[in-house]
Amino acid sequence: MIGIVVVSHSPALADAVVALALQMTGDNRPKIAIAAGAGDDVIGTDAVRVAEAIDEVASPDGVLVFMDLGSAVLSTTMALEFRESTNEVRLSSAPFVEGIVAGVVLAAAGASLDDADREASSAMTAKNAQLGTPEPAPADAAPQQPAEAVAEATLVNEVGLHARPASLIVSKLGEFDAKVVLSDADDPTRSTQAGSLLGLMGLGLGKGTRLRFTATGPDAAAAVEALRALTADGFGE
Amino acid sequence: MAGTATLPRLVDWLTRFRDAVAENQAYLTELDSAIGDADHGSNMTRGMNAVIGKIGEPEAVDALFKSVGMTLVSTVGGASGPLYGTFFLRIGTTAGAVTELDGEALSAALRAGLAGVIQRGNAQPGDKTMVDALTPALDAFDASLSKGDDLATASRAAADAAAKGRDDTEPLVARKGRASYLGERSAGHLDPGATSTALLFEALAQALA
Repeated sequence: MIGIVVVSHSPALADAVVALALQMTGDNRPKIAIAAGAGDDVIGTDAVRVAEAIDEVASPDGVLVFMDLGSAVLSTTMALEFRESTNEVRLSSAPFVEGIVAGVVLAAAGASLDDADREASSAMTAKNAQLGTPEPAPADAAPQQPAEAVAEATLVNEVGLHARPASLIVSKLGEFDAKVVLSDADDPTRSTQAGSLLGLMGLGLGKGTRLRFTATGPDAAAAVEALRALTADGFGE
Repeated sequence: MAGTATLPRLVDWLTRFRDAVAENQAYLTELDSAIGDADHGSNMTRGMNAVIGKIGEPEAVDALFKSVGMTLVSTVGGASGPLYGTFFLRIGTTAGAVTELDGEALSAALRAGLAGVIQRGNAQPGDKTMVDALTPALDAFDASLSKGDDLATASRAAADAAAKGRDDTEPLVARKGRASYLGERSAGHLDPGATSTALLFEALAQALA
């Protein structure tokens, strides 16, 4: 499991974001280390403390570091020169709150450093979708090319499409060579790439929603059938 | 007349710098409140007080500046921690385990410090940062040495050039750090980092006079 480091000017801010993120994981928590403040109630960052935090959560799977503003980035790049561990460390460009929530959830779900970094970096997608803001990147809109396979299933889980089912969809989809868009069959404007954990969670789909999987690609038919079965089965819950 | 920068002189430089940032704490913070997060004066004062508190009687130039750099990194809190920290750490590693620096060695050490600051902050001259005082200071220092001037003269030239570099940041639009969020509104203010860097070179000139 990858390790997570949270670098902030403010210990209170870091503690609160981590608490928020841990609401979304079960007992399977990733290692998280906080490097926040510059001691003695000073608002700031300390490169030596950041290096210690990286070493505390060092893992062969890598470490993903989230930073708030300005000097947090400088202190972290400096910490890379001080740390003792030698595993890969990635500095995330994600927005602080959304990125940490995504990173912690993905780490708990066993995501690789690449996947967690990529998902966290696209963490604004869910909020943009909620607010109807046009996507900065074209990646997440419904595809224009004709669909090759479609399947539907009703969401039976009590708490809807939360983190665990969403991560199951993402990992199941990884078995297929297909691009899949998940949408609300009764309101197709609510849609996202099924491979985006945050996109899935950002839709806020509740129990009873009819999910529509629309796929293109060589494995399109098998992919939508697998996702349909997974959903109908209540994601094993 | 200063033939070399001895360890006591280097300690005197740092002590004078501490005194200067403490004396100008309110002024530096005022500059930073105009275009930043209003903590440069208090951050640098806290950091340099910690440096002087730990300085003792260093045995070699590299050990001295390693201690200075690491202390700043851990105590300053703001961006000036990693930036000044890198500056002094690189000075130490470049100078090595010696007890004094001649003009050429001091120049090489300061150049390595500048390179470290640029690498750390990705700032270029004209971005309205400490680089805008550091770069002309080192250029003037080297130009003076190459004319055959002694350290006292060269460090005075560096201090004057740093002060001019600081003044020249006023019309610039910030492209790095917190001030860059202000865009055009950052013009018309001195850069706090360039201002503290001018104090650093004024302290050097006094210590090597």
